[in-house]
Amino acid sequence: MTWREHLRNLALLGACGIALGILPPALSVYLRSFVLFTMMYVVLALSWNIISGFTGYTSFGHVAFYGIGAYACAILVADYGWFWIPALGVCAAVAALVGVAIGYPVLRLKGPYFAIAMLGAAEGTRVVATVWDSLTHGGLGISLPSAETSMETYYAMLALMLLTIVVAYAVGHSRFGVRLNAIREDEGAAEALGINATLYKLAAFVLSAVFPAVAGGIQAYKVLYIDPPSVFFVQITIAMALMSMLGGKGTVIGPILGAVLLYTAQELTWVNFPTAHLIAYGLFIVLVARFMPRGLMGFAIDRSWVRKGMVH
Amino acid sequence: MERSDVRSLYLLGAFLACAYALPFLVGAWAGTVRADAAWLGILATVVVSGVMQGGVYAMFAVGLTLIFGVMRIINAAHGEMVMMGAYLTWVSFFYLGVDPLLSLVLTLPVAFLFGVAVQKLLLNAAVGAPELTGLLITFGLGLTMIYTVELIFTTDFRTIPYAPGTIQLTSTIAVGRNRMISFAMAVVISLAVYLFLKLARLGKAVRATALNAEVAMVCGINVRRIYLVTTGLAAALAVAGGALVSIQFGFNPETGVVYTLQAFAIVILGGRGNYVGALIGGLMLAVLENLVSLMVPNGTAMVELAAYGLMIFVLLIRPGGLMGVKEG
Repeated sequence: MTWREHLRNLALLGACGIALGILPPALSVYLRSFVLFTMMYVVLALSWNIISGFTGYTSFGHVAFYGIGAYACAILVADYGWFWIPALGVCAAVAALVGVAIGYPVLRLKGPYFAIAMLGAAEGTRVVATVWDSLTHGGLGISLPSAETSMETYYAMLALMLLTIVVAYAVGHSRFGVRLNAIREDEGAAEALGINATLYKLAAFVLSAVFPAVAGGIQAYKVLYIDPPSVFFVQITIAMALMSMLGGKGTVIGPILGAVLLYTAQELTWVNFPTAHLIAYGLFIVLVARFMPRGLMGFAIDRSWVRKGMVH
Repeated sequence: MERSDVRSLYLLGAFLACAYALPFLVGAWAGTVRADAAWLGILATVVVSGVMQGGVYAMFAVGLTLIFGVMRIINAAHGEMVMMGAYLTWVSFFYLGVDPLLSLVLTLPVAFLFGVAVQKLLLNAAVGAPELTGLLITFGLGLTMIYTVELIFTTDFRTIPYAPGTIQLTSTIAVGRNRMISFAMAVVISLAVYLFLKLARLGKAVRATALNAEVAMVCGINVRRIYLVTTGLAAALAVAGGALVSIQFGFNPETGVVYTLQAFAIVILGGRGNYVGALIGGLMLAVLENLVSLMVPNGTAMVELAAYGLMIFVLLIRPGGLMGVKEG
């Protein structure tokens, strides 16, 4: 891509950012939190996409980082009286450390074995959060001191989302991203060409762990109560994967598109069909994975609406 | 065997020894372990009932290992098939008045057809695709099953009162009659399936496809048909497991999730696609879980950790598991 195109995309993103920035006063409290959670899912899907879309390592336990971030923020704010914004920095740091600790051994596994190991790691983290009473208050969960937060968290999430998009875009269009794609296509060949696959995989993994953690932290401060089942919920991982797949994994625009579409659809069906919406959601997952595993972007590429062989 | 292969097997053995020693150490530290005769009796009872429970675990893990071995698909809906089996048994017990064990005659063909339909409509597309496709398809299927059952039967816990009372094995070891019966059933069913895989033409074709689908195709095996049979058989085994679960534990629509994860751990421990490995893995996991819940304080939450820890460490030490082939 040329610099003109990069500038155009950046301008587009800036315009979206400004639009979302001036929007909140015009929105009701419900709509504001709806937009906030949509942005959160954009962050989650995009960061999942860095390790699983760009690098091809399907993480089936990414919710672990989201939960760790939520817990780090909640513990610091509720038990140690921190202000929440510096706590978010700690969230990112903790997630990066845990990312290295989990990623270094587990990234040696490939394909379904990596997916299962990540699932086990996420569920294991949930159990640890339940059992480690002295730090996490166990199954009781943590209540955060109440504060007028709806505006602050909105802007924090907006900033995080813009940062994530910029980082994902930069990764996707850099040599780093090309190397990740090479690892996805054929790891042995990539190594033969002199790419340090272990290092690059780990870097991608840590990068994809940091943003969900911060999102989890903001979410904890927004919702003001967390407990292990809610922040280590398997379906959050599924949502990340499904959103990326729906939009088109391995692209930048795909997960964004998928997150916005899917979260909106979920919210609408949830409001209108409270009992049947979970069944519909399950069926929807099946249908997307069965009939369009390459997502909307794959669909567009097949019809030459967008160029082939690009990250977008 | 190569040297590295032998070494990883020793490492795995050492790890398993540590895993079994850990509950004792924690128990000794927390003061739940005593060395008197009464406590040893309790320990023996717990180990025996762990073995009984392990038979049932093995039942549903072999189904998962068949699908994983033949098609390289992780069936995330496996626990939901177990749950479905429990509900099918419950319905035939309370509405048709059929004995839970006899009801297998009714439910197994239904389950087989269900598996064949799932394979035909959904999973054929996931064979050879990236693992995410199969994972998401089966996970979505599982969610659909959970909430459909929830819509019909609500989230209440159900139980089937069956064969109450205990059997005194020795003066100190007593086991519930329902556990004995379900263990015996598990042994019979898994032996039958083992013989089928070992001796029958179709069973041999299933094993050949698991070893190498392309070579099997060249040898004239209809691989598509084998896929149908495999998933049908796996679903039937899961439902049979569900029937055995239903006569000893309570269940509700969401119990399947835990069974899926336990089955994953067992399959990993036993080795992908290895039938005997899954049987051994089932026994080992159940015994370990029972030891943990006996001796470790806060045991009920820690039981889950036993399965996840086992799964992750086995994957790291030896991804092929106890009996599996070497694999990255």
